[in-house]
Amino acid sequence: MSRKDKIFLAVVFGAYTMAWIINLKYIPPVGEAFKTLGHRWVVSLGSFSFNPVTIINASIVFLVILWFALSVRDLKLIPDRKQSILEWLFNTFYEMVEDTVPDPKFVRPTFVIAMTVFIFVWTSNMLASFPGVVFVGWENGKLTEIGLFTDTWQAPTADLNTNLTYALMVFVISHAFAIKAKGFKAWLKSWFEPNAIMMPMNLIGELAKPISHSLRLFGNIAGGAILTYIFTYMIKYFLLPVFLWGFFGIFVGTIQALVFSILVIAYISAQLT
Amino acid sequence: MDKMDLAQAIYLLGKAIGAGLAMGIGAIGPGVGEGNIGAHAMDAMARQPEMMGAITTRMLLADAVAESTGIYSLLIAFLIIFAL
Repeated sequence: MSRKDKIFLAVVFGAYTMAWIINLKYIPPVGEAFKTLGHRWVVSLGSFSFNPVTIINASIVFLVILWFALSVRDLKLIPDRKQSILEWLFNTFYEMVEDTVPDPKFVRPTFVIAMTVFIFVWTSNMLASFPGVVFVGWENGKLTEIGLFTDTWQAPTADLNTNLTYALMVFVISHAFAIKAKGFKAWLKSWFEPNAIMMPMNLIGELAKPISHSLRLFGNIAGGAILTYIFTYMIKYFLLPVFLWGFFGIFVGTIQALVFSILVIAYISAQLT
Repeated sequence: MDKMDLAQAIYLLGKAIGAGLAMGIGAIGPGVGEGNIGAHAMDAMARQPEMMGAITTRMLLADAVAESTGIYSLLIAFLIIFAL
């Protein structure tokens, strides 16, 4: 580390400590801070209700992905840094799908689905790794308070609706692929393997897949967000939050996005064999 | 939380004990599982140090799958505390 870096780090740390000492006055008491923890802002339209935060943050994620996609649109023969990262990622995933999926006809569709899911889930997990606009405090469906940099972004994947959508989509797609690959009769027969008595077991086993698939991601991201909030409150926002964001946001987020998309590949290939 | 009647107190007691038990018992399985995964990964690394990178990646993946039951109990504990 050079002398310049040391001075820079010392200045940043000093500014951080000053900000912490000033902010210490405005930290709310326990009862107030944890009042809306784990609750969501829900807007109901007629018979169905939805979570606007998920929709807003999911559109932010879409815009980020769109911006990135537009910036690497013109591919060059000699790749720059951005393009080579992208090529490495796509290549790794393609090789993984090629190793897992037995039918070469379904390698490309499976790769497209798994890659899309990975990019969306990873980007939205990264959104939860740094502080931003948070929606806290509401009464009777009306928003009363918006926090700026008081907590991390609420990731779309911290809402079960998003994850269940993807998991159910993968469930339907895997069975559609199975019908296409083996034919309707063979697919129907696969439910009665090894004999007809095992049918309920197969059914439960299949239905448990999307549930565990979606709950794993939801629990990791939502639980990580809540734990981060509680720990940062306990330590009074001093220094530790950065490491918590790094661990629960970047590390756990990357691993869970990878696990989610690997399970997508595994579930699809399990139906094809 | 200055004054509460008996019903409220029992309700709070049940919530606290339930959440604590859910998280505590639910953490046993993933703890044992992740310990096993770590031990076997160490074994493999000691046998083949040149495979360290690949083994570490797969170890982390296996950890993420093994801890999912612990995550479910964490969810249940949060549901008990905040949503019940």
